[in-house]
Amino acid sequence: MTTLQIGLLFGLATLTVLFSGMPIAFALGSVATVFMYFFMPHASLDTVAQNVYEEMASITLLTIPLFILKGAAIGKSRAGKDLYSALHIWLSKVPGGLGIAVTIACGLFAAMAGSSAATCSAIGSSAIPEMRQRGYSARLCAGLVAAGGTLGILLPPSITLILFAVAAEQSLGRLFLAGIVPGLLLVLLFALYGMFKFRSEVGDAQRVADAGGERARILQVDDYTLGEKFAALPKVLPFLTLLLGVMLALYGGFATPSETAGLGAILALVLIAVVYGAFKLSDLKPIFKSTLSESTMLMMIIGMSLLYSYVMSYLHISQSAAEWIVGLHLSKWTLFLAVSSLVVVLGFFLPPVSIILMTAPIILPPLRAQGFDLIWFGVVMSVIMEMGLIHPPVGLNIFVINNIAPDIPLKEVVWGTLPFVFLIMFAVFLLCLFPDLVLAMPDYVFGVAGARAG
Amino acid sequence: MLKALDSLIAVLNKMIVLLSTIAIAIAGGILSWEATARYLFKIPSDWQDEVTIFLLVGATFLSCAWVQHSRGHIGIQALASVLSPRLDRARRALSDVLSLLFCAFFTWKSWTLLLEAIEDHQISGSAFGAPLWIPYSCMAVGTSLLTFVLFVQVLSALTPAPSTPSSAGTAP
Repeated sequence: MTTLQIGLLFGLATLTVLFSGMPIAFALGSVATVFMYFFMPHASLDTVAQNVYEEMASITLLTIPLFILKGAAIGKSRAGKDLYSALHIWLSKVPGGLGIAVTIACGLFAAMAGSSAATCSAIGSSAIPEMRQRGYSARLCAGLVAAGGTLGILLPPSITLILFAVAAEQSLGRLFLAGIVPGLLLVLLFALYGMFKFRSEVGDAQRVADAGGERARILQVDDYTLGEKFAALPKVLPFLTLLLGVMLALYGGFATPSETAGLGAILALVLIAVVYGAFKLSDLKPIFKSTLSESTMLMMIIGMSLLYSYVMSYLHISQSAAEWIVGLHLSKWTLFLAVSSLVVVLGFFLPPVSIILMTAPIILPPLRAQGFDLIWFGVVMSVIMEMGLIHPPVGLNIFVINNIAPDIPLKEVVWGTLPFVFLIMFAVFLLCLFPDLVLAMPDYVFGVAGARAG
Repeated sequence: MLKALDSLIAVLNKMIVLLSTIAIAIAGGILSWEATARYLFKIPSDWQDEVTIFLLVGATFLSCAWVQHSRGHIGIQALASVLSPRLDRARRALSDVLSLLFCAFFTWKSWTLLLEAIEDHQISGSAFGAPLWIPYSCMAVGTSLLTFVLFVQVLSALTPAPSTPSSAGTAP
């Protein structure tokens, strides 16, 4: 059989087993094993378990369970609620301050927890009822929280970026830094949209009030004393210190990424014990159980995806596909558009971890050949994958919102997130137009890297 | 018989969760110590990364069966809403059988790998040179338990009596 025929068969087999509903990890492992049996020397079958172990036994990959532990510790405490409440009190004078508080709280929480679903759930469960009580529309509440939650896969310690660092053999420290400005850009865009929508909703409510109708709650302005403002800080500052401390440890040269993961996890556990008194077995059990469940599921997908990529590479499927793409002589931005579309379509069905590990061997060589910086691409790819979290048919965050705010119909949640999908597209456009938004910070800290240095 | 097997899995799961939790907590502690010791006391790192890898790989493989027991390994469930209930049952049974076959094969290869590591006194490639039978044994035991859980799930799907539904994972 030719490589093309084997490649097509490989793709078809993958789609069939994935859509059979088999767990993604076992599906990818099965396809890899069957193709090893038919198209590779039989001795290779003896190394299946060893291959998976060797791929997984990477200290960079194994930071993932510890970052998840840190996220679970913070996510299962009341830190999200306190963070949001403090920001709300401090931003009460700003028009649409509540929406801005939600967006900033999502960004900060995402940077502490590193998980989109945890961010949505932690901030949304307290912010959505409060926003609705204050007259914000259901669509705006759902959209702001769902979109804010997506920042979890972009801001450090993003698991998506950890995997991209492994798949593309790029520096994790650089990737983490490169995600910060695009993350802040998205926070800014989401907050500006929140303000704009708030003004429009206030305008509508004012017109109703002027016409003699009921004076809506959204028209009332909350006033907090300086004492109330400062009283909100003590529960939030330790977590912000943890966030900054971890970044300082990593970029100040005090700790490696894996040590940062360990330190972050232990300090998060210490903080929730000190701040919220969560040190009993009954407090810690759900934290460790959710960590184990999520990290095992992810690590199995990662291990099997790496076995899958190894088989693809051994059979020259990935190299041939990459050569074919290069041979098409697409212009730089046509190639980028094609790859981005592929990522968006895959995002309908697959989690970001699988998309990165399955596609990296095929899409990265052509992108490199076209002169794209892979640090820049890793961040932009993560931003593109953020869209997959808030648009149907999968849109994990949509379902998280549906779960924490069951009174908001699913249709309203979907309509609410739609403007944010366009805002993310706009952000991608800006990052393409101004690549320094991604690269300036890592270049400033670590110096200009790779081909760009010459 | 299924009830007895389910009880056995429940007991095993409790042990697995406890062991894996301890492993993750120790791994976090070791890495924190590594950074602190190197920075404050100038103690060089030699064994810490290796031990952390063993602990985390061990925790991952050991808890695989527990995650499968609650159907926590996510899959694409797009066809579930399109197929008739009967066809969907068949699809789920087929996916369980295929998973069982793959995991049984992987378990076999994990045990082979473990036996080779013991016979050849294999050690890791680092300067620390830890014996590889340690992580391989976690892999072999973990995948064996996973295969066992899948076997019970297939058995319960094929048994005519209605089984307790468990939440199926979906791809995020």
